Amino acid sequence: MEKIITTLTHIISKLLNRDNILLSPETTAHDVDGWDSITNMLIINEVEKVYHIKFSFRDIAHMRNVGDLCGMIKEKTSSNS
Amino acid sequence: MSFISLQFVILMVATLLAFYLAGERYRKLVLLVSSCIFIGYYHLQFLFIAIAVSLFTYAAGLLIERSRRSRWHKPLYVGSLAAMILFWIFCRNSAALLGTTGFLFPLGISFYTFQALSYITEIYWGEEKAETSLPDFMLYMLLFMKFISGPIERSRDMLPQLHHMQQANYEMMAMGMKILFVGLFKKIVIADRLAIYIDPVFDTPQSFATEQLIAACLIYPIYLYCDFSGYTDIAIGCGRLFGLKISPNFDRPFIAQSTAELWRRWHMSLSFWVRDYIYYPLSATMRRWGLNGILMSVVITFVLLGIWHGVGLSFVIYGLIQGLSIAYEMKTKKMRDRLKQLLGKGFKLWSVLRMYLIFAVSLIFFRCAHFKNAWYFVTHMFVNSTDDWTGWGLNIPVHYRCVTLIAIALMLAFEYMQARYDLLKRIEKLRPVWRWSIYYVMIFALLAYGKIGADNFVYVQF
Repeated sequence: MEKIITTLTHIISKLLNRDNILLSPETTAHDVDGWDSITNMLIINEVEKVYHIKFSFRDIAHMRNVGDLCGMIKEKTSSNS
Repeated sequence: MSFISLQFVILMVATLLAFYLAGERYRKLVLLVSSCIFIGYYHLQFLFIAIAVSLFTYAAGLLIERSRRSRWHKPLYVGSLAAMILFWIFCRNSAALLGTTGFLFPLGISFYTFQALSYITEIYWGEEKAETSLPDFMLYMLLFMKFISGPIERSRDMLPQLHHMQQANYEMMAMGMKILFVGLFKKIVIADRLAIYIDPVFDTPQSFATEQLIAACLIYPIYLYCDFSGYTDIAIGCGRLFGLKISPNFDRPFIAQSTAELWRRWHMSLSFWVRDYIYYPLSATMRRWGLNGILMSVVITFVLLGIWHGVGLSFVIYGLIQGLSIAYEMKTKKMRDRLKQLLGKGFKLWSVLRMYLIFAVSLIFFRCAHFKNAWYFVTHMFVNSTDDWTGWGLNIPVHYRCVTLIAIALMLAFEYMQARYDLLKRIEKLRPVWRWSIYYVMIFALLAYGKIGADNFVYVQF
């Protein structure tokens, strides 16, 4: 999980143009300035490219926090391998 | 019946008495009967249509859930969705389709249709279970406080409250009354006073000079906010009297620094609805095209939001302005972040002013009945000056100008204090002499400066 969070921090920092982002499994979009419904899709898109996975719309709708996103990434990458 | 009418006061008092005297078993029935009276009072046709749509939605929800493992699951959902949307479109365009004999546009249909659509969609997605209690479901759809102009309540927020209806305690009723008063203040002291002078400018802009067009454009957002949020506050306050928590619809929209932020603060129940049921599915599909795909989905979403308000080029442009503004903000994010670092607090003030002006101009298209009026308005805002500075006052008598300006300042100050310090709760902790002094001042202000007897609320037309 820590490795995924590190990668996510890098992705989100790049997309939101911010240096001081700290993520934890409990972090939600509300906790990060600039992370809204529009940037959320950009983040999801970038995550898919980095991990070579594809989320369905319902997968995205069920993600409530960073922990859910990490769990979904793990699930998709292990089913791909 | 309007919220600001003797008939509504009588209905509310009668409903309250019946609700608390009838006993727990009959409370939902009391609310349901009152809701039917409220809706039917306007026109029986409105009541029949609302009941028909509610019954259809109830049945559709159950069928969609029960067919989850069958091949009919998706066709039932798509068919129900299509039927509701087509019926809503038919009602919207009945005058054009049927000529002058077309029936009246049913009151509240845009709001309860959206409730119905979200309800069956959540069942189809497996996020919620279909409601089996018909009385609870009918009450969810027809509840009179939110029937005319929302908020568009989600079933997951309202149905659990209706399942376990609790009577309001003293604190809840006191809070409800205070919120109701705030709504009345916004509506009858500010909105209805401004309406007299602003409406003619938008109805016939050709009859007004530059100064008056600009003044009306700049004041209109505040007028619309006071009218619509005033209605919402009255709805929320009335709901609290029955122990119901109705969702907020506004959150200090005029402090927004971007269009995206504005729509998280303005008509929240509608903007969150289009976000969850139009933007998310659309952007999930279009995200393969990167930022441009996502921005395209934003623009389409807001054009559809504009069309929800009405058929016609004007409403399309209203929505388009919102979507393009968000797209511009996303595309220029890096530049704006740099400016923010350079200018500090000055950038925040500039952003708030810029946002207000963009919203004000977009509302010209929202308010003008015809595109040609909106176009005239926008293209003549700076060309037809009479050099008569009194035009800026929109012929509002000096006395009412002062009252309105003070009322607006008080409203903005109240909202800041409420957000920062939960002012309404703090008032409850004051000693009775101070608390009741405030209440009497509020009642005096309403009676002395309120415009009683105004027709209705702007959003009734949707």
